Amino acid sequence: MPPFKDEHVLLIAPGSQMTLAQLGLPETFTPARFRFPTRMFPAEKKGEYEPYRVREKRREVKVSNGTEAPKPDVEMKDAEPAAVEGAPAAEGPVKPEDGTQENGNEETTKTIEEVYYEEDPASDEGAIYPIENGRIVDWPCFFALLTHIHNTLSPPFHTPIMIIAEPVWSARDREAITQFVFEKFKAPAFSLMDSALAACYGYGTATATVVDVGKGKVDVTAVTDFTVNEHGRGVALEGCGGDAMTDRLVELLGSKGFTREMCEQLKRSNIAEILSAGTPLPGSSATARQGANPAAAASTGGADANESAPRGPGDGTQTGTEGANGEEDEGVLDVAAIVSGNTTEYLANIEKEKTTTKKGAADPKGTRLPNSKKEKASFQFEEYVQMDGDKTEAQGSPQYIRQSREIEVSVERFLLTSPSTNVGNRLTGGILEDIATQIHHTILAVPDATKRSELWDSLIIVGCGSKVKGFTQALLSVITQKFILSPSGTIFMSEIPSNFTTPVPTGTNTPAPMGQPGQMYHPAAQGVNPLLVAATHNNPGMPGGMPGTPSMDPNMALHYRSTGHSQTPISVKTLKPPNQGNSNAPGASSSSAAGNPGASGAAQGGHGMEEAIFLGAQMAAKVFFVLDQGLSKGYMSRVEYNESGPSAIHEYVL
Amino acid sequence: MNPSNPPQAAEYGGDEVSAIVLDPGYSTTRAGFAGEDAPKSLIPTYYGKYNADGQEKLVYGDNIFVSPRPGLSIHNPIGRDGIVEDWDMAEKVWEHSFVSRLTGTKAGNPFQNGLNDVDELPVEMDVESEEKPLSDSPLLMSEPGWNPARAREKTIEIAMEKWDTPAFYLARTGVLSAFASGKPSALVIDIGASNISITPVHDGMILKRGVQHSPLGGDYISSQINALLKANNPQPITITPHYLISSKSAVEAGQPPQANYKTFPPDKAPDASYRALLEERTLTEFKECVVQVWPGPTRLSAPGPTGVSNEDMARNTPGRPFEFPDGYNQVFGVERFRVVESLFDAKAAIPDPDSPFPAPTPAQTIPELVKASLAGVDVDIRPALLANVVVTGGSSLLYNFTERLNQELMQIFPGPRVRVTAAGNTYERRFGAWIGGSILASLGTFHQMWISKKEYEEHGPNIVEKRCK
Repeated sequence: MPPFKDEHVLLIAPGSQMTLAQLGLPETFTPARFRFPTRMFPAEKKGEYEPYRVREKRREVKVSNGTEAPKPDVEMKDAEPAAVEGAPAAEGPVKPEDGTQENGNEETTKTIEEVYYEEDPASDEGAIYPIENGRIVDWPCFFALLTHIHNTLSPPFHTPIMIIAEPVWSARDREAITQFVFEKFKAPAFSLMDSALAACYGYGTATATVVDVGKGKVDVTAVTDFTVNEHGRGVALEGCGGDAMTDRLVELLGSKGFTREMCEQLKRSNIAEILSAGTPLPGSSATARQGANPAAAASTGGADANESAPRGPGDGTQTGTEGANGEEDEGVLDVAAIVSGNTTEYLANIEKEKTTTKKGAADPKGTRLPNSKKEKASFQFEEYVQMDGDKTEAQGSPQYIRQSREIEVSVERFLLTSPSTNVGNRLTGGILEDIATQIHHTILAVPDATKRSELWDSLIIVGCGSKVKGFTQALLSVITQKFILSPSGTIFMSEIPSNFTTPVPTGTNTPAPMGQPGQMYHPAAQGVNPLLVAATHNNPGMPGGMPGTPSMDPNMALHYRSTGHSQTPISVKTLKPPNQGNSNAPGASSSSAAGNPGASGAAQGGHGMEEAIFLGAQMAAKVFFVLDQGLSKGYMSRVEYNESGPSAIHEYVL
Repeated sequence: MNPSNPPQAAEYGGDEVSAIVLDPGYSTTRAGFAGEDAPKSLIPTYYGKYNADGQEKLVYGDNIFVSPRPGLSIHNPIGRDGIVEDWDMAEKVWEHSFVSRLTGTKAGNPFQNGLNDVDELPVEMDVESEEKPLSDSPLLMSEPGWNPARAREKTIEIAMEKWDTPAFYLARTGVLSAFASGKPSALVIDIGASNISITPVHDGMILKRGVQHSPLGGDYISSQINALLKANNPQPITITPHYLISSKSAVEAGQPPQANYKTFPPDKAPDASYRALLEERTLTEFKECVVQVWPGPTRLSAPGPTGVSNEDMARNTPGRPFEFPDGYNQVFGVERFRVVESLFDAKAAIPDPDSPFPAPTPAQTIPELVKASLAGVDVDIRPALLANVVVTGGSSLLYNFTERLNQELMQIFPGPRVRVTAAGNTYERRFGAWIGGSILASLGTFHQMWISKKEYEEHGPNIVEKRCK
């Protein structure tokens, strides 16, 4: 077979919400060129689908003697109310050709009804989402989506296709997709690549633990030597994705009049942040320096800006409930957070503050505090408002304008991952804890025990759900708290090893190991302001090794670890994204901000390494289709398909 | 090829379907396609049950380890002796094992699944509306060597009637393990979770009179570890699973743990059986990291060759540290050899009155089982069996297990050549029976062995006794 060309390769990565696609491999790997919402709309004919919402509209066309064309009736606006007969025919001024009127000035006019269709790209009413939690729930619709993407990109015949497979797809699902691609698209070569493996290609590593935080689910996969470990894999762990965080916000803020859409945008805004476990919430901080109490926050710029814009629902209710709660709060108790948040941690912090802090004066530097220190912050809420809502409903396409306004929120914006108060089906300690437990389970299930330590040290966190500021840090800190083994007891019996800093007066009583970026704090460091720790622990000349590596500590040599293997994890780290020399700034998945969660956030809203899966797919496609021409059995060719059928796709180990 | 030329019209028209191999065990259930080298789907046989919104809900798969649920209790459809007790649930668990990762839910009506052009819809055909999960895959299942006839008939009944498989076969795990190591004749020693079993296999046929089994499997070793932890010095150790701990702090070895525990309201707290399941996870880790089999040649309690007793020798090997989920950590010395010693020496069992396992009798130990097994087979084939001892099963992965087994067998049978084979690869050891099934079902010559649906309909479930010997 002649070699494939870069510009012919078609990549499709379906997701529950967005499907990424690209035709041709660019010189440097870039985010996907096309992003299709993963939804289709039922067409008029059963079993067919349209990419956009199609409205059936009826309009009455005036047929007058002589002239067929409907007349623009802009000048007759005043007469509109009279024109409503049967079907409401009135139309806003933006649709001039639609309105019909009979003012009696043209007796010969009769109206006939004419049906026409109009695409409405903004609406998602009646949409069918073929993928739910990674699972393909509506096959015809999914295939229609693939066809739509294929048609939109219209590749030439000699186009190899690579589809990124969700881990949850069963063997039969993969066969069905294979069959569809070969028979509908007549592809000369097809590759179905596991998303976790693609992420590894994106990071250029053979062994990693891939955590893919999606919309409604999380996948946790241990990849060793480019092989996906199916056993113990966390497949489509439900209730842990981005939606779960939005749900939590709705739960916290719903009583204050926040809609789901508001919460969704709040989650995406750069003021929403997940604080590492043990970080005190602002406004209740035990470290007195930040005296950001409500009084101070009220005078900050964010609040001032609010005066001019329509007020968000956050504030009014807050003052309303204050009295009802009947608590003497001395201005430090954030009632709103208690009413809705109700976490014991929060209350404990308040309690602590009452005893330890004096009411600080308003901090004049309040505006320059990092987000994590501000008690309140506001974000820009954008919404599409339908113009002249009622009138246009039945006829004519609705017109939208974009409105934006500032909404102020309190500390709820830090509580995205706190456990839901409504127990429901699961006794969860929050989604981060669920994910951490799944990672632990997945890594323990890897049969090659010698790889486990490496897996802990190479976490890859991808997926748009992980875009929320501080997500990675918070996840690492949960893992550290729950699972990291203490450096074996003997260390503390002897002198402190050189790579452990000596205890400092930050409230820690045990040394906190400082490693390179990505190294999380030791559990002992919890409950301490990470900024403070970072400032006092600043010793840049430290060797980059792991704490407790046997070679560094003579006492460890006494431990007989040569037979079998030892327990994991000793440490946990995220992998550094590769430097590709392009615009993909390492975003939330870079862990340089271990100590100061407020500093990162450059990649907010951008497509950083959250989409490492797609980048990896480009790299893999380049390797499989262009460079090694199928030598590594990276794809299935049409000839092989004709011989062995769709089930042969399983032999192409991706 | 010119990219603007349309491709040839030749299309795949074959109907190659690979069989599904299902190897249900007490602790895990393995399922995958025949011809592959590892089962694609591995789920715990345990399932969870809880009430939510007034309904009883069931949880299958790995998820039971990850998310605790209110009032969750854990059950196992298979009894301790390896025979199914709860058929309804066994069917559901097994079905989950292949539906979740292999067959998936059906793509639906072929006329509407997008794969076919729907220009002309045929007249409404009388299609069975109820989809059954296996209607287009043959199924090979495994069973323990002592499976009673009633259970075998029930199994084929489920496969044929509930799952609608077109062809079925039931094979003994021992035979399959022998196939996996490429031996038609072998003495298969399978160390599972609930049982250890000895199966003599000759020319691919099981020698029924020689089949021996005893309950000293992985779960028994766990109970021994529990007994050890209970009697631990300076203080007894209790295992608190991860789900009950919100954070822990580092403590020195042997010091009491410092952890923040989670509390659940009593009406929401998971059942004790859930806690037991998760404690078992920690014990598994303990077995992997700490437990060692005394390599022999003599027993741990015996005096060593140099006059120093074996116990003292073991004591001199460096200990191995282990940290429990609540942060408690300790170095384990000679104790780590003791917990498995009773597999070979019944007297060495650590006594524990609360254990669900009664103290082992000498007849239950591996050397005695092998003796009993060989006594049940023809004298002529004994040397052939001893020269082909196959060790399989997850618990046989204990460090130094095969060395010790080899020593024990050489002592009992000094005459004939004893050769112990054990796969070095963890997968091959744990999934020996499955892999054998995968090989068997993909053989061309195996096709005549299948019991077809038609035969089943003609002869009834009893056919399994005649065909699957």
